[in-house]
Amino acid sequence: MKLVTLAFKSISNRKASVLLTLFTIAVSVMLLLSIERVRQEAKQSFGSTISGTDLIVGARTGDIQLLLSSVFRIGHATNGLSWQSYQYIKQQKGVAWTIPISLGDSHKGFSVLGSDGNYFQFYRYGKKQSLTFSHGRPYHNAQEVVIGSEVAKQLHYLLGQKIVVAHGMGNTSFHNHDDNPLTIVGILEPTGTPVDKTLHVPLKAIELMHGPTHRVSTTAIVRNNDSHSHDEHEHHEHHEHLEHGHHDHNALESEPGDLIGEPTQLTAFLMGFDSPLYTLQVRRNINTYKPEALSAIMPGVTLRELWGMLDIVEKILMLFSAVVVLISLLGMLTTLLSSLSQRRRELAILRSVGARPKHIFALMCSEAVLITALGSLIGIAMFYLLILVSKGMLQAQFGIAISLSLLSDYELMLLGVIMVSGTVIGAIPAIRAYFYSLNDGMSIKV
Amino acid sequence: MIQISDLTFNWPGQSKPTLHINDLQIQQGERLFLHGPSGSGKSTLLGLLAGIQTPQQGSITILEQDLGKLSDAKRDKFRADHIGTIFQNFNLLPYLSPIENVLLGCNFSKRRVANLKRANISAQNQANLLLEQLGIDQTTRSRSVSELSIGQQQRVAAARAFIGQPELIIADEPTSALDADNRDIFIKQLFEQATHYQATILFVSHDASLAHLFDRQVSLKEINEVKQ
Ligand SMILES: Nc1ncnc2c1ncn2[C@@H]1O[C@H](COP(=O)(O)OP(=O)(O)OP(=O)(O)O)[C@@H](O)[C@H]1O
Ligand SMILES: [Mg+2]
Repeated sequence: MKLVTLAFKSISNRKASVLLTLFTIAVSVMLLLSIERVRQEAKQSFGSTISGTDLIVGARTGDIQLLLSSVFRIGHATNGLSWQSYQYIKQQKGVAWTIPISLGDSHKGFSVLGSDGNYFQFYRYGKKQSLTFSHGRPYHNAQEVVIGSEVAKQLHYLLGQKIVVAHGMGNTSFHNHDDNPLTIVGILEPTGTPVDKTLHVPLKAIELMHGPTHRVSTTAIVRNNDSHSHDEHEHHEHHEHLEHGHHDHNALESEPGDLIGEPTQLTAFLMGFDSPLYTLQVRRNINTYKPEALSAIMPGVTLRELWGMLDIVEKILMLFSAVVVLISLLGMLTTLLSSLSQRRRELAILRSVGARPKHIFALMCSEAVLITALGSLIGIAMFYLLILVSKGMLQAQFGIAISLSLLSDYELMLLGVIMVSGTVIGAIPAIRAYFYSLNDGMSIKV
Repeated sequence: MIQISDLTFNWPGQSKPTLHINDLQIQQGERLFLHGPSGSGKSTLLGLLAGIQTPQQGSITILEQDLGKLSDAKRDKFRADHIGTIFQNFNLLPYLSPIENVLLGCNFSKRRVANLKRANISAQNQANLLLEQLGIDQTTRSRSVSELSIGQQQRVAAARAFIGQPELIIADEPTSALDADNRDIFIKQLFEQATHYQATILFVSHDASLAHLFDRQVSLKEINEVKQ
């Protein structure tokens, strides 16, 4: 019989105390893995929200604040930047593309993003992936909307359906509001980024949403004929602001119309350059732009700043889970040590049949290793179960897509550290047993 | 078989020696009864013979092998190969079945495994055979160790001592927890096995009334020069 077999039989004989120890180790391992996985995936999904964008430009504010509001839809941009500034900066040398962004409205809790056709053409996330449509196509005029996958899923929206997107951040329906029903012409593939929870409309739709009176009084711009005809068109629409199950596929074939309208303000805009050389130069120009106080940030750099700020939180979380693991291993130590004095007879019997003190040491160590390994295995199983159960909630609440993937090298390394600690801690009772067996020999002291 | 000369043993931290034995010889196949009062050093002597403790002075030779000339590892191996041990009580590992407890006897000894091979019998079969001969029936063999009576446990321990044919069996008061009838039956069975496997028996007890069953009796008090 191998020593490991002996160790295994020995611990299975002490089920009650060993099970408790196993359980605490399993829970601590589960906790550690979960915290680490969520931390990693959160970082991952934050980091992959935007890619391929060289600069984000907005009204002057904190870099992180601008990043959060423009890309992550967290917090509000207090000020916007003027359309004129956008037009001017857009003309700078080396600019490959720009995507205007107008935020601030919402629809049933999902944010509404106004932009133009460039959005679908140039926006990149993850590993420079562009947005793809699971159904439909980009918007062609101000009566059309493209929705993210989560929006479609949670609100059960279908292609061709008409919805009313209200002005403001609330999610109440505005019956008195001047209805401007939009037809869903596209549903995007899931991206695991805030895009999934966004309704994309042309800038002009945002303008229409805010109503002509509001617009005229604040901007004194006379509306052109084009928008007038749209207004008339609106009166022919149904007045229910939501028509479930309405499949009007003709709505998908539409006349291309004006997407931009006459905006005065933008929340921010994204820029791509022909060469990184231009990025720094244009950034300098924007930061010193006279007519308006603007900030231009490089998303990668600002993201790193953000991690820097979150670093301490991460470290504290990490420390807590490490302490929990340590406590569970100390629990194992207590169990092993307290059983040891009752097992001196067992050691003497093993000595009498020829076991060497080093065998006794190995036996005691393997018990600790077995308990740690078994506890870790159960912990891993519990960890996967937990992910499976909470996956949907994490995605819906925090937009963090947790994958059920195999353990990463880092996670395996953590488990390795736990195993080594378990073995080292197990060496303590093993060393005691070693000396017991040296001193007691075959005379049994109980 | 066993030759002890000029042996002095002192437990660490004790002011005077526990044992000082000038000369003790045990012949091959002999059944020796060693008696002495409690605390006289009987168990200590067995520990020395088994090579777990080493004497400060003198020599112990077993089967022509001077134990003092062996390293710690070699002495452990020597014990595993040549000596079977039976304790007073609680002889068995509670987490192993009776059969597994018997098999433990050849777990640390290649020589005992080789002996079984030469006798052309598997360890498993030999364990069953020994238990059979010692009167442990099939159903008892599959029971948990903690469910066995003390007498049955001592028989399982005896089977473990005998498996793989070690030359020397040392028994440290194996019958002290048994009643008179069981004690006599146990000793009788022990002798049967010893005859069958040509083993020498060194039986230690404070109960001098057992002496008449043995070939020879030695009083530790008489041979020990250290007077309590
Ligand atoms: N591990 C030990 N460390 C130190 N001293 C010991 C140890 N074991 C025994 N002794 C001492 O050696 C002496 C002899 O003890 P031993 O156990 O050999 O007696 P014994 O004859 O076997 O007694 P009993 O019949 O009660 O079993 C005792 O005085 C005891 O205190
Ligand atoms: Mg004793």
